[in-house]
Amino acid sequence: MFYAQLLVNGLVQGLVIGLAALSITLVFGIARFPNAATGDFMTFGAYAALSAHKATGSIAMGGLAAIIATGVISLLAYLAVFRRLAERSVVALLVASIGIAFFIRAFLGVAFGHSQQVFQVPLSRPYVFGGVRITPLDLQLAAVALAALALVFAILYLTPIGRQMRAVADNRDLARVSGIRPDRVMIALWLLAGSVAGVAGMMLGIKTIVTPEFGWEMLLPAFTAAILGGIGSPVGAVVAGLILGVVQEVSTPFVGFTYKIALAFIIMLAVLLVRPRGLFGRLEGAR
Amino acid sequence: MTHTRRQFIGTVGAATALIGAPSILRAQGQGTFRIGALCPVTGSGSPFGSGMQKMIIAAAEAVNAAGGAAGRKIEIVSEDTQTSPQAAVLAAKKLIDVNKVQAVLGTWSSGVSLAVVPLTNDANIILMNTSGAPALSVPPANAKGLSYRFQATNDRFGRAFAEICEKEGFKRPATMAFNNASGIGNTEGFRKAWEAKGHKVVESVVYEPSQPTYRSELQKVLAANPDVIVTGSYLADTTIIMREWYQSGEQVKWVMPGWAASPDLVKAVGPDVVEGVISVDSVSNENAPSYKAYDEAYRKATGQPGQSNVYAAMTWDMVHALALAIEAANSTDTAAINAKIREVSNPAGQQVYTYAEAKEALKKGKINFEGASSVLDFDQYGDVTPDFGVFFIEGGQLNRRYVVKI
Amino acid sequence: MEAYFIAIGIIALIYVILSLGLTLQYGLTGLINFGHVGFFAIGAYTSALLALKGVPLIFSFAAAAALAGLAAWPLGLVSLRLRDDYFAIVTLGFSEVVRIVITSERWLTNGVQGIPGIPRLYEGLGGSAAQLAVLVTVLAVTLVGAWIIRRIAGSPFGRLIEAIRDNEEAVQALGKDPARFKIQVLVVGAALAGIAGAFYAHYITYIVPDQFIPLVTFYVWMAIIMGGVGRVSGAIVGTAVLMLFLEGSRFLRDIVPGVSEVDMASVRIGAVGLLLVLFIMYRPQGLMGDYTKR
Repeated sequence: MFYAQLLVNGLVQGLVIGLAALSITLVFGIARFPNAATGDFMTFGAYAALSAHKATGSIAMGGLAAIIATGVISLLAYLAVFRRLAERSVVALLVASIGIAFFIRAFLGVAFGHSQQVFQVPLSRPYVFGGVRITPLDLQLAAVALAALALVFAILYLTPIGRQMRAVADNRDLARVSGIRPDRVMIALWLLAGSVAGVAGMMLGIKTIVTPEFGWEMLLPAFTAAILGGIGSPVGAVVAGLILGVVQEVSTPFVGFTYKIALAFIIMLAVLLVRPRGLFGRLEGAR
Repeated sequence: MTHTRRQFIGTVGAATALIGAPSILRAQGQGTFRIGALCPVTGSGSPFGSGMQKMIIAAAEAVNAAGGAAGRKIEIVSEDTQTSPQAAVLAAKKLIDVNKVQAVLGTWSSGVSLAVVPLTNDANIILMNTSGAPALSVPPANAKGLSYRFQATNDRFGRAFAEICEKEGFKRPATMAFNNASGIGNTEGFRKAWEAKGHKVVESVVYEPSQPTYRSELQKVLAANPDVIVTGSYLADTTIIMREWYQSGEQVKWVMPGWAASPDLVKAVGPDVVEGVISVDSVSNENAPSYKAYDEAYRKATGQPGQSNVYAAMTWDMVHALALAIEAANSTDTAAINAKIREVSNPAGQQVYTYAEAKEALKKGKINFEGASSVLDFDQYGDVTPDFGVFFIEGGQLNRRYVVKI
Repeated sequence: MEAYFIAIGIIALIYVILSLGLTLQYGLTGLINFGHVGFFAIGAYTSALLALKGVPLIFSFAAAAALAGLAAWPLGLVSLRLRDDYFAIVTLGFSEVVRIVITSERWLTNGVQGIPGIPRLYEGLGGSAAQLAVLVTVLAVTLVGAWIIRRIAGSPFGRLIEAIRDNEEAVQALGKDPARFKIQVLVVGAALAGIAGAFYAHYITYIVPDQFIPLVTFYVWMAIIMGGVGRVSGAIVGTAVLMLFLEGSRFLRDIVPGVSEVDMASVRIGAVGLLLVLFIMYRPQGLMGDYTKR
């Protein structure tokens, strides 16, 4: 029963990680570099949602704000920086993404201050199913996450632009030869990756509190999940996020609260050394 | 390419010299006593640091308006610790070596104070801080007795918690501590005092900062069936913990330090969640005229009530206590001043509350300066020994029910 | 007055030593080490703990370098099997794990309470003489380090690691095993960071896990990118600019009154980010230029 509760805790946590991992894996798969600004995109989304929520009192508006604002900032980052570095090495892109991460964090710090902010959502008592507690808020957030995922998958698998994105992820040269315009794909990619990160950020912010640093702290678990799930596999990212969330929570009685954070790193390392393509990834080189 | 590079390096070098220049030009003024205000203007202490700095400046103005101390005006040079020991060390060195300050006031975080105190000891000047770590009371940190602490040690807070738990009739306390010196200091202080009374702590959990959830930690604590949870925590993590606890539906009481269980917490989670939470804070001398003077100054400088920044009240007192000691010693020599600090702040003596009043009274005999942050009675370690106010959060308000003396 | 400059000088030189290590690892060999602060931390804690147990500083420093270098060994083994960017993430995770271990193993490191009262170098000399002695010592070590790196760069070993950076397969085709060299480079760079850490601990005299966060790694990265990747002069110039930037913001407040209310910490981070992006985009060879083909 105790473990069942930890499992549930972990699943909710895992959805947030999964969404963040989804953003990372999309960029990694299509633009081919690890976007270290994902965490701070999340923070940006959380603050956007917070501002909208404060102004209108509606979570839905908050979500919309998160999606639009983060999508836009992500696209701007692409247009201003990542596009110019497209022909350069992965290092350049990675370091640039760190620079952008810091810049966004600084901007949020100056704009909103460093003290924590909270979404004023009503708290309520949980539902109890056979000794396991789930709060209505968790269920709502889970619903939002699943809706967002459904939307993303619909775009990826049911729309032409989604097909093109997957084609570029599979084999960039072949995609270009077959007439797919990389520019449009990239724009769609960055809008999508940004929006997803924004939603993840809002979810995390609602569950907990919002500070300028809280997205960066999610980066390592999100990367782990993306790698575990297989870079480039959206399904993998989400599944891996859930697994990671559950493993972290369920392991705490054994490893203690401090080390559960280190667990993400150990899992990532193990995956990279033993099965670099992760759970669902294609046989792309991690070497 | 090489030519431009050399030019560039030359320009950089010149720029450095230029930047350093104004400080070099600022020579030691005659007839002043220079104080370094070293506060956490940025970093995790930033909610308090800017207010702390402003109160040092305001207090100095009050002192100067009454004619200064030992015939000298108080001059303040401010630096930012960034709430980081490394930055603080460089800032302290600048204050000591470049600005030649004769005392350093206002360090807030324990890490910063611990890093700065060897420097002030080396320079043989007084350090006044608001940090909680017990290590600051004793050698090696306080080997020279030049360090004064205006905030109750974490240890003391813990002892207060133990007194309160006993008084309220709790039998099965558990603790949750933020993983840093202050948080652990609080809960360890509680545990020691509680066990000294012959009781037991049923569960202790230490949790990591900046986590998005503490559900599992909470679960572990609640599994031991405590009747009260004593925390050493801060606002951010307490917010998360309270929300998750409330939604768990479990019954338990809470005892927390005042900086966590504050009006901000009520605002963050709503009055229902924190109903009945016991908030413990060192008693500010709120009814004293010194507090009124401080509050006025604080409102004028920041537009906020003085109550919102307990550390600013402490820095206000720092300048006053120091200035009075200088006046009493009639000298700027550190040893002479140091000898007088307890004399002007501790009983017995005529109780005084403002600088002007105190300066007059000094001429007639011994005084006992009662500050805004506490009555400022320093023990042998240079620590204040305040009383603790026990507040119950009821209907979203913090109501003080009683006071605990350690 | 001089004492303040000496203080800045000591901190700057510590950063130079860190930059030299990273120059060797990334500049010359192309290994993306995002976990440099982890070795810095290992060095600092090793030397501090040993010194507090009474070990003479010369040995505690040596131990700091040795342990930091040793910690790089497994990382080196890992690097052989991973692509650049994956390795980067792994190293980032490594430095965070180091910090977590330091935070949790309270029996050893006193956890978050930190270790105060670390003995200083030249304690016996007292006052400003000691400070000057520390500066001279760090300077000497820095010069030795710089000289070693230059010699490496100019040697056959150096040409080999640069070849590994530029075209690893070609190196393998020639029958050389890049693995060995990568590990050596990581170990040496880490040992340098360990020494820097030891100097740091004995200078600040109080260390806590919070001082060893990834931001420090990225300060060093900024220094070498701005100064010029792959060159010793780049490491030195880049660090000078870094220090100017970090300490200069303090004086900015003295000169320009309104600045004190600005959130300097955020401005600093924002400037680091902006500089990283700008340099990567427009002047990837840094101020001192470099000969890498990227």
